[in-house]
Amino acid sequence: MNLYEFSYGIIHWLVDLVNHLWYWLGSWLPGGLGDFFDDVGNFAASHSNISVFAIVLEAIIMFVIILVNVLNFIWIDRKFMGRMFDFYGPYYVGYRIGGWLQNLADGMKLFVKEIIVPAKADRFGYLLAPVIFVGSSIAILAAIPLSPKFAILTSPTDTGVPAGVLFAFAMFAIAPFSILVAGWASNNKYTLIGGMRSAAQMMSYEIPLLLCVASVVVLAGGFSFFEVVEAQRTVWFAIPLVIGFVVFIICMFAEVEVQPFDLPEAEAELVEGWTTEYSGMRFGLFMMTSYLRGYCAGALITALFLGGWIGPSFIPGPIWFLIKAYIVFVIVEWARWSLPRVRIDQLLNIGWKRLMPLAIVNLMIAVALKSLGWF
Amino acid sequence: MAEMWINMGPQHPMTHGLWNLRIKVDGETITDAEPEVGYLHRGIEKICENRTYTQILPIADRLCYGASLSWNHLYCRTVEDLMGIEVPERAQYLRVAALEMQRIASHLMWLAAYAADLGMMIGFIYAMRDREIFIDLLQSLTGSRITYNFCRIGGVAHDVPPDFERDSLRACDYMEKKIREYYDLYEGSKVFMMRNVGVGVLTKEDAMNLGVTGPPLRASGVRYDLRKDMPYESYPEIDFQPITHPDGDCYARYCVRMEEMLESCKIIRQALQRMPKGKWRVLAPRNAPIGTGLGRVEDPRGEGMMYVVGDGTDRPYRLKIRSPIFVTVSAAKRMLVGYKVADVVAIMGGLDMCIGEADR
Amino acid sequence: MAEAKKRPVGDATGIAVRPIKRTGAQVVRSLILGKPNTILYPYQKLNLPPSYRGKHILDFKRCIGCSNCVQICPNDCMWMQKLEDPELGKIERPGIDMGRCLFCGLCVEVCPTVALHEGVQFELADRDRAKIKFDPRDLRDDHYADTVKEERQKRLIPVLDLDKCSGCEKCAGECPEMCIAMMSIEGTGKKKPEIALARCKEEGKCTVVCPDKALQMKEVWESYFEMPEPKFVLKNCTGCGACARACPADAIYMMDMPGTEKALPGGKKGKPKKRAVFVLEKCVGCGKCFRSCKFKAIEMPGVRK
Repeated sequence: MNLYEFSYGIIHWLVDLVNHLWYWLGSWLPGGLGDFFDDVGNFAASHSNISVFAIVLEAIIMFVIILVNVLNFIWIDRKFMGRMFDFYGPYYVGYRIGGWLQNLADGMKLFVKEIIVPAKADRFGYLLAPVIFVGSSIAILAAIPLSPKFAILTSPTDTGVPAGVLFAFAMFAIAPFSILVAGWASNNKYTLIGGMRSAAQMMSYEIPLLLCVASVVVLAGGFSFFEVVEAQRTVWFAIPLVIGFVVFIICMFAEVEVQPFDLPEAEAELVEGWTTEYSGMRFGLFMMTSYLRGYCAGALITALFLGGWIGPSFIPGPIWFLIKAYIVFVIVEWARWSLPRVRIDQLLNIGWKRLMPLAIVNLMIAVALKSLGWF
Repeated sequence: MAEMWINMGPQHPMTHGLWNLRIKVDGETITDAEPEVGYLHRGIEKICENRTYTQILPIADRLCYGASLSWNHLYCRTVEDLMGIEVPERAQYLRVAALEMQRIASHLMWLAAYAADLGMMIGFIYAMRDREIFIDLLQSLTGSRITYNFCRIGGVAHDVPPDFERDSLRACDYMEKKIREYYDLYEGSKVFMMRNVGVGVLTKEDAMNLGVTGPPLRASGVRYDLRKDMPYESYPEIDFQPITHPDGDCYARYCVRMEEMLESCKIIRQALQRMPKGKWRVLAPRNAPIGTGLGRVEDPRGEGMMYVVGDGTDRPYRLKIRSPIFVTVSAAKRMLVGYKVADVVAIMGGLDMCIGEADR
Repeated sequence: MAEAKKRPVGDATGIAVRPIKRTGAQVVRSLILGKPNTILYPYQKLNLPPSYRGKHILDFKRCIGCSNCVQICPNDCMWMQKLEDPELGKIERPGIDMGRCLFCGLCVEVCPTVALHEGVQFELADRDRAKIKFDPRDLRDDHYADTVKEERQKRLIPVLDLDKCSGCEKCAGECPEMCIAMMSIEGTGKKKPEIALARCKEEGKCTVVCPDKALQMKEVWESYFEMPEPKFVLKNCTGCGACARACPADAIYMMDMPGTEKALPGGKKGKPKKRAVFVLEKCVGCGKCFRSCKFKAIEMPGVRK
């Protein structure tokens, strides 16, 4: 039973329950109104209506599951970082479960902070930027399936939509736009520079990223996630496309803005970052979305290179997917806290001069392998 | 973009201490720089004119809170020069050992702040953790963690606590092991090398002409270390080498300080081994003779100097303090011009600025 | 001259490997040992060495109220407070304003009777500034000194009680080091022994031979600060006795000067004038006599008031 059928069933049950009451209520009313009630009830129980709500419920389920995982990520980040730095991570809040409730405490703290909009800021841009940023990042979740049966963008026969990968990367790449708008609209010289640098960084690392995706798609034969993962049944793409794997991971570092590439966010020198003028839960949303994009990066790496949900069958597919995503995340964190920050011109150098040739070489290898008929 | 002056203002999260650096940028490249100090001026030289010689001791500590034992010691040397006092041998060796521990702690704090500027929190945490070992040692010796007030005019305040020698030798072994780990963290990472090699070059002639002293001078190739050239306390009897490096860039300054920490470990071992038994303090006269006294020491940041004029009473007529950072920071223009804005942090961080002594 | 050693630098393969290896080793070490390097502060306390300079502890019985500590404080954070104690009577003891205190330890070092110590309590923060100004009674702990190891050295010195001394000169003849010289006290016609403490070898022969038990060996703590010494100007002294009352160390005695009695009408003779006599071995250099004399009979050279 896949996710759509599961949520359809729940909505159907719910609508039936409400309709019982509704019809009974309608039977007490005089003629014309009673018919109206019956029509509404019938419409509510109709297939098209329930399917709409089923999709909404699917999205909510997926969103909640991924959010809980993001909270886990934040917790693992802080605990792991703590052990690397030779201190405890979060310790007291939620003492018996290792400090997991610290996330909720921090979220509540951000809720009660005063939300300040700078007086001379461009109000429309200022309020729009978080919406685009957060919205587009969450939209990626719709595209990435955790397993053939646990996906939102899929077809009735569980073969997935033909352009899943394309959609995911398109949503991923909207972010630089919203960062530019946020930097500009804050009316602050330094956030403007920070926003520009961030946009330059993300755009220059999109190219090697998409070239690696192109190489994977060449080997898999289609743009859908299901096809890509199914093509890895024999061997994970990380092994023949090793160069692409490494390049993809480095590009993801730059896209998600973790050290060593977090220049726009944590600038020591001149700029305090493009999120300076945001306060309260707006800022909290930016932080959460940053980790959410980290999760998406891990999920994309898993799906494209590490075999997605393929694994021994004693653990269900989605759990394998999440396990692999966690492992990728831990490695990213490990590298994150061990390396210093790269300067902006060196960063762009790396993107254009070192990673792009490697990505092209990787594409050539993929084409060669495909034409040799091995995939 | 047109050229504009930017203030890396008095309020800035990453400049060490309260000062202002005005840089003229053309796009991302720096064309001119002007440091402005004076925001932390506390009038210490004037305060000292109204205090007795003993009361100035804790005030001299607070000149540079990063290396406070060094300044306390410098003041004691100056007044001992004025009054003509000879410090007993045990006190001299003890002062040398404590000074070298202070040097290691100061260099570790520099390393921590430098790593934090470059974006490596891990360097910050590890360096501060290891600095705790030395601060704890000095705490058991003197009674306080940052402003020690340990040297007195005529010797040191009190004798070593039990187990001090054993703990110090253990700390030196630990430090030598840890510095090898630091090489992995810093030099093993290409990113750190990319940000430091070739950045902020200060040539030998410029360094000598501008009056730069200390590790930045030695990193430009000039072999000038007051502990060897004008030795004081018991440094003549201790065998060590001043460290130099031929390039004058940020990486050279980093190398010089790391190796200086290793040399300090050697000095501590020798000083504690050779310390004789005996008195650790002599009585100092209360009223100073009419005359002048001069003291020069090798502070972890450069050459520090104090000059005192006595007028027969128990308060100095004038106390003049020469701070190394005040002079070194004027070399900022030479070092910054031509590099990117993002290099400012690495270059100014490499000078190990402690504004307390620059502004007095 | 030592060249900084050239070490192998991170190359293309080692871009990130060596630092990652180092942090990974730290994680493994921390997990194996179980505990990271953290002291969970409010629940676990720090282990401070006994020489730590924290909040002061005052021994009322040892303190003589000399105000040396108040004068040496670089930041003017101490003051002498007049108290009434049931055992000790009317006394003056120092109070400390911890809001200004530097915790430098100079007051501890200058105290002549080691009455002030600095303990290990450092958690002194409060919301009310008035609560950080500690009264002497808040600092009082008369038994603390017994629990700590004495840092300062002690020595024995012969101490003179001038009221009992008859001027017999036996002590001067007995001392093997010739420390004692009998000096005449100007105006009174009597003599008193002046002891050169630097030469004293603590043998105590002078105390044995004194018939009036005026000379006793007392244990005092070594002081490393040279305290100012008062100089007496006989011309200005009126014999008011203010200095003798002010001195906390009982170092000033008022003696009669025979031959200065004023002739009163009716043929009687008035009382003789008095003068102050200083026993400088007991002097702690507090300067209270200097400040209490209104006739400029006491000078402290080199000291600004």
